[in-house]
Amino acid sequence: MTEPGSKFRKKRLDRGIKARADTIFAVASWREILYLLLPRALPAGFLLLLPLFLDGYWEKVLVYACMFGLLALSWDFLASCGLFSLGQSLFFGLGAYLAGGLNYYLHWPPVVTLPVATIGGGLICSALLSPVMRLRGVYFAMVTLMLPILFMKGIEATGLLGGTHGLSALSPLVHDKVSAYLAVLGFLVCLFAFRRVINSDYGLVLMAIRDDDRAVMSGGINIYWRKSQALFIAGSVGAFAGALMTHHYQFVGKSVFALDYSILPVAAVALGGQGSFAGAALGAMILVPLSEALRALGGLRIAIYCSILILSILTLPEGVFHYMERKYQQFETKVEVR
Amino acid sequence: MLEAKNLMVFFENALALNDLSIEVREGEIVAVLGSNSAGKTTLMNTLSGLIVDMKRKEDRKGGVRITVMGSLHFKGEEMLFMKPSERVKRGIVLSQERHPVFRDSDVMENLKIAGFLRSRAETKARIELVFKLFPVLKRLKGRRAGLLSGGEQQMLAIGIALVANPHLLLMDEPLLGLSPMLQADLARAIKEIRNEGITVLVTEQFARPILPIIDRGYVVENGMLVFQGTRQELAENPEVKAAYLGL
Repeated sequence: MTEPGSKFRKKRLDRGIKARADTIFAVASWREILYLLLPRALPAGFLLLLPLFLDGYWEKVLVYACMFGLLALSWDFLASCGLFSLGQSLFFGLGAYLAGGLNYYLHWPPVVTLPVATIGGGLICSALLSPVMRLRGVYFAMVTLMLPILFMKGIEATGLLGGTHGLSALSPLVHDKVSAYLAVLGFLVCLFAFRRVINSDYGLVLMAIRDDDRAVMSGGINIYWRKSQALFIAGSVGAFAGALMTHHYQFVGKSVFALDYSILPVAAVALGGQGSFAGAALGAMILVPLSEALRALGGLRIAIYCSILILSILTLPEGVFHYMERKYQQFETKVEVR
Repeated sequence: MLEAKNLMVFFENALALNDLSIEVREGEIVAVLGSNSAGKTTLMNTLSGLIVDMKRKEDRKGGVRITVMGSLHFKGEEMLFMKPSERVKRGIVLSQERHPVFRDSDVMENLKIAGFLRSRAETKARIELVFKLFPVLKRLKGRRAGLLSGGEQQMLAIGIALVANPHLLLMDEPLLGLSPMLQADLARAIKEIRNEGITVLVTEQFARPILPIIDRGYVVENGMLVFQGTRQELAENPEVKAAYLGL
């Protein structure tokens, strides 16, 4: 806070501007290249190397973190076109049951079920949610919250698809390392692809729909078609996560429609910061290992976990990632006001 | 009554108000004239304290850094960093640009919300005053504010500010987007507001509709004061004539 009498103010300079000019891309020095490259390459390289050093329990945690990362990315993608969903477990569960069902009843190998479940899950999601696409905000969230519960209770009551016992003894992916690498690669590809898409003209339309859908309509763009495309993309990503999880654990049960898969991605985005995808990814990479690391504490685990979440929202409302990004790209100087 | 000295406001590195000093005396109607981006709205936000709130929110989320400097005295009290709600209690009330009203509430409810700080009897008396100044509102008092026309919404917005019992009423472009006839009506209403004992500071882009009612005026360009004077001096200054009177 500037005092009434003070004659100084803080001036902010953006380090990134020169390197991120739109039309001219002049690489000035190695420092510039590293400045741009390191924040992207370091985490990606670290994640790619991680499966080599982890095994057993912590490898499972890594796969789990990538699943939630994918769900958080898909949530963030939907949110950037104005669809606030509380039902990531719908995407997750549909993918899981598609892959599980195809493998259990038709004996299709994972090489086929994974892509089929990914595409099919996305299609079913956009078909299921197309009637409610015109709803916004809390109404859309309500419907997406209800749909997974509908599926869960339907499977429970009718006994279809294994009922309460689920489908077990599904074919595994060749090796645990393969599923770990599939998870990490899927996560990284999705992260960088989403960041690219949202900065393209296509993403611009999606963000415009979030800001003011009527203005987009009067621009001559069919917003429902765009929204269903966004739902397909987000649904596919969620379904891929579900399908991978099914084959990783060689089991699918009605718990894939559980509320955890809806709420945790939202928490991850809230922690990491919304709108940049890297925030969502970072949030998931913090939350899941944290929750596992706290397991040693026993009963207080969830209480401590919740307090950390609340504290982070209170102290860093912009999100951990945006705070770090700001500190990385800007430096401040004090200038005198004459 | 109100004395602002050497106000400087930065939005990040952009200078919105540059060493601006203005003074408003009791019982006057003072105009601040300036084109778009001259800093009129920033000045109003600084005087009403909204900028303090904006600054706090931006600081919390690491957004645009807002720097406010200078001094602001109202009735002898320094209040540059005082919260807007405290300023309203002391009698500075802002009627914002583009007539914001509570769109889903009806006219009467809108006026009652504004009387939240005052006693019930006082609010009732103030609402009567508003209806006296703007008889149109009395006819429309059961209608939803979102369904009013632009002119009616503007009257309602001014009415809301009046119910809060201001000593100094800040009006940010009250004549924006109104027909010339309505502008003249509203200018007359502003004069009546002054006759009720309320000091008025009004901003405008175009001087002609309000020139007849003001006592003094300031001309602002790029956040800087370029001219100040009485109504007579403003009307006779050739540059003001060309830029703000369209003569």
